[in-house]
Amino acid sequence: MKKNNILVKIVGMVLVLALTLTGCGQKTATVEKEKYPIKPLNMIIAFTAGGSSDIQARLMQKYWNKYVPEQPWVFNYTTGAGGAIGFGAIAKAQPDGYTLGGVNVPHMILQPMAQDAQFSIDDFEYISQVVTDPQVLAVHKDSKYKTWKEAIDYAKANPNKLKVGIVGTFTGHHMMLLDLKDRLGIEVTQVVYKGAADQNAALLGKEIDLMIGNVNDVMRSIENMSILGIAAEKRNAFLPDVPTLKESGLDLISDIRRGFVVPKGTDPEKVKFLRDSFKKIQEDPEYLADMKKAGQPTDNMSGEEFDKYVHAQQEYNKKLLTKFGLIK
Amino acid sequence: MLENILTGFANSFIPINFLLIIAGLIGGIIIGALPGLTATMGVALMVPITFAMNPISGLIMLGAIYSGAIYGGSNSAILINTPGTPSSVATTFDGWPMTKQGNAAGALNASLFASAFGGVIGTLFLLFLAAPMAQLALKFGAPEFFWLCIFGLSTIAAMVPGNVVKGLMSGGLGMLISTIGLDPLEGARRFTFGAYSLVQGIEVIPAMIGLFSFSQVIVLVGSNNKFIADYKAKKGAAMLVAKTLLKSAKANLMRSSIIGTFVGILPGAGGEIAGIISYNEAKRWDKNKANFGKGAIEGVVASEAANNATIGGSLIPMLTLGIPGSAVAAVIMGALLAHGIQPGFKIFANNAELAYSFIVSLIVVNIVMVFVGVHLIKGTAKVLNVPTSYIGVAIVALSVIGSYTIRNSIVDVMVMIFFGLVGYFGGRVGFDTGAMALGIILGPIAEDNLSRSISLAGAEGSVFKVFFTHPISLLLIILTLISVLTPLLMAKYRAKKEAVANDKA
Repeated sequence: MKKNNILVKIVGMVLVLALTLTGCGQKTATVEKEKYPIKPLNMIIAFTAGGSSDIQARLMQKYWNKYVPEQPWVFNYTTGAGGAIGFGAIAKAQPDGYTLGGVNVPHMILQPMAQDAQFSIDDFEYISQVVTDPQVLAVHKDSKYKTWKEAIDYAKANPNKLKVGIVGTFTGHHMMLLDLKDRLGIEVTQVVYKGAADQNAALLGKEIDLMIGNVNDVMRSIENMSILGIAAEKRNAFLPDVPTLKESGLDLISDIRRGFVVPKGTDPEKVKFLRDSFKKIQEDPEYLADMKKAGQPTDNMSGEEFDKYVHAQQEYNKKLLTKFGLIK
Repeated sequence: MLENILTGFANSFIPINFLLIIAGLIGGIIIGALPGLTATMGVALMVPITFAMNPISGLIMLGAIYSGAIYGGSNSAILINTPGTPSSVATTFDGWPMTKQGNAAGALNASLFASAFGGVIGTLFLLFLAAPMAQLALKFGAPEFFWLCIFGLSTIAAMVPGNVVKGLMSGGLGMLISTIGLDPLEGARRFTFGAYSLVQGIEVIPAMIGLFSFSQVIVLVGSNNKFIADYKAKKGAAMLVAKTLLKSAKANLMRSSIIGTFVGILPGAGGEIAGIISYNEAKRWDKNKANFGKGAIEGVVASEAANNATIGGSLIPMLTLGIPGSAVAAVIMGALLAHGIQPGFKIFANNAELAYSFIVSLIVVNIVMVFVGVHLIKGTAKVLNVPTSYIGVAIVALSVIGSYTIRNSIVDVMVMIFFGLVGYFGGRVGFDTGAMALGIILGPIAEDNLSRSISLAGAEGSVFKVFFTHPISLLLIILTLISVLTPLLMAKYRAKKEAVANDKA
């Protein structure tokens, strides 16, 4: 009898499990109707709640509700593998216009190229670009290097002695470092950190001599850093005194961008509706003011342009990685 | 500064803020107690709500949730041997045996008082010593982190006395599991067997839920006990525990809180490491070492005081340098930035009222937590009066939901079930789930910092210089040696003493 009891308990538990598992995995098919949207939109964010991507999307949501009051966004955080899991989830979603999500460049280009991520940049319809966060070269405020050229000169004279911090491999930082090495012919010691927080701490603790960081991240510890150059076309509103690399003789543009996409094959009418709605949001002065307040470097680009940009970047990164033998 | 501190207290007692403290604590404790729902998630979910509040109220609420969640993790650690948050891993070592002995009330109250104490000490460091502590955090580079992890891993030797080999094997297996996924240096794939779902590695929380809770369910289902443990509500249990702690655990509380604060200031090392190290130190300094692991209240006290002390610690580099000392501190920093407030030393000048109100509110939060907690304990302990058949189903449901919600991935649910089986069958052959969890938690941090140290050694031209000449590294190496050698020497000493005693007889 006792044995039976245990068996019953185990079977019960397996049933509960099975029900839960299938419940989570199911996808609901929807019948398409002319009116759009008729139900809430699923917004996939590939990074944790409360992070920079999330905050930006939530700011946007506020204005989506203003321009498209009929249906809200439902946030879905599908995180992991530096965003690749979430990007893959967007690519694989039903192209019914009810799933959209945030993507990051160059992440979405590098992950399929170097890490076998389960999507490609051709799996999406591009809605719009919202943010560009340029990369900068930063040193400790007490550093002996006053310009980026001084640091590079040291690296030229002393191969592998300059310690340069980057966040992650096959990331925007990594690409910029490769590009620097390629153009300037320098050899440096590459020190890889898990996140911007560890990297900032390492620079402040003088574990590294120079770091490649993003404006958004260095702004948090700006009191203790000096920024030697910014890899952008124009000077940045958050760092007006920092010269661009271009001004000082190095034509290098490197940044992280964020935008929104829907899965490939979404009805063109719906794509157009989303592109138009996003355009309205992105031109709203209140939205722009909110973005500035939150420290989000706004850089608006239409879906069509964003699409072209991503494909152009694909070529650039492919060349660079092939040159350094990091991909075949 | 005194004026600011007083303003801080005044702000904490404004009715709406006080209400937010109580609500935040209750919400936090529940989130913390549910396996899989972590402090990070709890705080992150509430960040958007703070956008609509004034920043002071928002921060006070987030602080209350953070404190509540880190404390709440101990409830499930004690009652069902399942750390509600990773921070409470070390609480299971003695909390669960106490429950099995029918002293759940003692363990729950001890964890409450210790958490509140640790929380207050951590906050006092934040209030008065933020600047020097922040500088110390910066001295902690990759080699120091590596040695800290080795020191944490050395706990295994002390954790499973008499069975060091199996303990080390469990820990080693844990570390090996943690290498699945992309390697930290080159981004190369390891042990993924071509499966993309393994590229992201084994997430710590589902693995822990599996090792601790799911395997526990199998044990429960297999046992013929109708209830997890005997439990009868006793009046005055809280007072009794408070008296005991005041009498005999003062040094332990203080030491653990200070360890917690120091570990808290380090980005990348959080409550779980603080709890483990404090537990080990409490054991080292205690007269009755043999009681640890068998239901020593001191073990619960050490782990819980330390993990709540990390809260104040983790906010130190966040507020002063813009470098969050924990994932939750990072989320809170996000909330600050979204309100247009830049962290940095000048926050204490430019936003003095906000900064001090937030810090001081944490003291109020920890004191209020005692009163909220005492009432909640009466309810949570009733879990033990529910027949195991229902508890089992509930834990399975929570384990599945908890694993899934980490990143909305069904892979994590499978990982959880897999580790549940590993925990259950491993336990039968003498594998130590605690040691394995340590390996899984510390393995990636150790590896990451080892490889970074090697990169740095390349530039310095000397491995020796990087690993063995920094003062903090040397201190950690010495501590590790003491930690590993003490049990051995003690065993020899005891054997000798016995031999002498035998000779005399």
